[in-house]
Amino acid sequence: MKVKTSPIRLTASDRLFYSLINIFLVMLFFVIAVPLWSTVTLSFRPNDFIGTNFEGMFLAPWKWSNAAYKALLGNNGFIIAFANSLKIIFFGVATALFFTIPLAYSLSIKTLPGRAVLVIIILIPHMFDVGIIPSFLMVKNLGLIDKLAAVFLPTAVSTYNVLIMKGFFEGIPVELKESARIDGASELYLLMRIIIPLSKPIILTIGLFYGVTFWNDFFHPMLYLNSNHLMPLPILLRNILIASGMNEFVEVNAFGEAPVQSIKAASVFLAAIPMIIAYPFIQKYFSKGTLLGSIKG
Amino acid sequence: MKKRLFTVLVVLLLTAALAAPVFAQSAADSGKASGPIDIELWYGAAMTEAGPPPSDWVGYSVIKDKLNINLKLTALPSSEADQDVKISAASAGDNLPDLFMVRREVWLRLVEQGLVAPVDDMYAKMPTRTSVQYDEDSRAFTTIDGVSYGLASPGSIQKNEGVLIRKDWLDKLGLSVPKTTEEFMAVMKAFTFNDPDGNGKNDTYGYGAFLELNNYEEGLGRRLDPWFGAFGVPGTWNLTKADFGLNVRKPAYFDALSFVKSMVDAGVIDPNWLSYKKDDFRAAWKQGRFGIMREQNAAYAATSNYAPFDKNFPDGGFVVADPPMGPNGDAAVGVYTRAFRIYALRDTISAEKKDAIARLLEWMSSDEGYFLIGWGVEGVNYTLKDGIPVADGVPDPEYAFTGPKGQPVTQLRNLVFYNGKVELSSRYPTYVTATSGKTMSALDVLRDFQSRSWVPTIGADTLPPPGTDLKRFYEQSVAEFITGRRVLNRANWSSWVAEFDKLGGKAWEDAGREVAVKNGLLR
Repeated sequence: MKVKTSPIRLTASDRLFYSLINIFLVMLFFVIAVPLWSTVTLSFRPNDFIGTNFEGMFLAPWKWSNAAYKALLGNNGFIIAFANSLKIIFFGVATALFFTIPLAYSLSIKTLPGRAVLVIIILIPHMFDVGIIPSFLMVKNLGLIDKLAAVFLPTAVSTYNVLIMKGFFEGIPVELKESARIDGASELYLLMRIIIPLSKPIILTIGLFYGVTFWNDFFHPMLYLNSNHLMPLPILLRNILIASGMNEFVEVNAFGEAPVQSIKAASVFLAAIPMIIAYPFIQKYFSKGTLLGSIKG
Repeated sequence: MKKRLFTVLVVLLLTAALAAPVFAQSAADSGKASGPIDIELWYGAAMTEAGPPPSDWVGYSVIKDKLNINLKLTALPSSEADQDVKISAASAGDNLPDLFMVRREVWLRLVEQGLVAPVDDMYAKMPTRTSVQYDEDSRAFTTIDGVSYGLASPGSIQKNEGVLIRKDWLDKLGLSVPKTTEEFMAVMKAFTFNDPDGNGKNDTYGYGAFLELNNYEEGLGRRLDPWFGAFGVPGTWNLTKADFGLNVRKPAYFDALSFVKSMVDAGVIDPNWLSYKKDDFRAAWKQGRFGIMREQNAAYAATSNYAPFDKNFPDGGFVVADPPMGPNGDAAVGVYTRAFRIYALRDTISAEKKDAIARLLEWMSSDEGYFLIGWGVEGVNYTLKDGIPVADGVPDPEYAFTGPKGQPVTQLRNLVFYNGKVELSSRYPTYVTATSGKTMSALDVLRDFQSRSWVPTIGADTLPPPGTDLKRFYEQSVAEFITGRRVLNRANWSSWVAEFDKLGGKAWEDAGREVAVKNGLLR
């Protein structure tokens, strides 16, 4: 026998509220979608297109040109930079999580001797940035100048991420840890076999935070890397975006016959693709991870 | 348990193997030979987006074999601000390379801190290079208290912009090339309201511009400078003995600003000029949006830059016009100075390395170095036609010096070019356009631009810059006067100048005068 369910009756104020929310979300959608669509269509714009940017957004797809993508993907420098960025993100995220997880776990143990002092020591550099020169000297003294590790090692531990993860670890029932300890588990065993398997949402979330940071990092590679074959994508991207040479100093631009603006848009879009691909897979953990972490102090 | 331990060990080993290149010294540093001298050079790339010379670039082996130098190259970041950060951080960390390009402001600070080496003794060791690159002006540019602390090579080509006007529009409307500001205004109105392209739409404008403020430029920027030239106040500084000072403080600046405002009020300037970026501006004239502009010679006439316009308007075309003449007979496309690129040596450089650098630079200015660094290898990257390197006739056009794969081998060309005849003829070849079959030459356009009226302000780029707040106040205010956010009348303008002085404008002018007099810049 089917149970009849009656729909929830919405009052006039509820309907108004939901309408406003929906209108807001639609507007938000356009705020995000229009620039994205503009960039995508610009990247496919043919050299002979005549019209405004707005008209270009509605150019029929069969009139699009893939010259910009062909030029970029056929350019050795782009491929090398892309590979360097992948190396940085892979080793950067692995290193960051390697340091962040044990640190956050240690700080989440309430009986840890000197815990409050340790937290303060970690918070001080978070609040007072040391500046470029001391950082440069440290990297230089560590012998990391002109090595990819210089890009991610100095920033491998983010205090903000440590605190979020610490909050998540504190939310794991104490009884679970206690019973493991009673059974003879060491802290390392506890972390590896119980805490980490239970913390997939926060690890993926924080990993995404780190990943996005390393992927987009322009400043550290610019400062610490000298060899051109080590330069990651953001450096090349910036060179492409601000290159004035394309118009004024050569007869043919470095990427062949594709329009300059299309090259710029295509490079922006290609650089965003890894994040666009990764995000949906991590999205389901995202809100869970950040929310659980954020409500614990 | 053992199996798990084994798995962990394997994973760790694999990770370590993968990580090795990430932590390892870069390949260029490995395997240093004991014989040749290592020289580290941070250079300004000719085309930062094109990538560095490849590791098998023939230049490396020639330099090693002939000069006994292991050259290690690093391209500086593309933006000057980023270059400054990198150089400043390296200098603070005592990590400057042997030879590096540096902007004058940062270079001045390095000189004050004693972080760059004197180079006076190097000029005599480089006779060929000194004769083509380091003239009196160049040495003066890097000389402080009688000591030269850097090697200043000629920078970008001067007077390479000009006033261009759509000839086909003039013809269609039965107008002649305007000369005075009044005539220009009449033509701009006709271009805006009389449908010069005949498409039946009110979609064209008289003048096109955008806010372009490069180093040592203030106000509304170079794209509107012809209008300020018409009133005798182009650029930031007046460097004459009779009337030295900041142009913005002169009464004629108000007249010039009023004229530009009248263009805005009349609707004859493309209304997007405040939001346009360089690419937008260039896309706009190629789409036939406006009929008069100040543009750079290659951006206008080089093959790939002119092609879209030629395709869109095969019967159209621009001609070079004299800049508008103002009520007192003044006219100027703008101002020009002599630009230099400074290459400095770190202070702790050894005498042996200094000699090696002199050897390297002298070789770069020899015929062999000049052609190899400027264009690549003959028969691969270029062929010679009447002594001028051209891209035609190479086996693979991709590897021509203008092609995507050929450009990286010419990244150091700014170290050898000095705007001589060979390089200009090569850079701007005469060609026939694809659609209309017109004969075009960016070099002819350049010569034409250079023959028009310009105001010299040699050394203006060595005068002290304004403070950040003052510069912002200056630029924001003139834009506000033009757009009507501030009412432009003589009383308001006088009040504004008084406020400008109070905020440091007068002190800036006084500081400029002191430097200009000291360095003999007034004419």
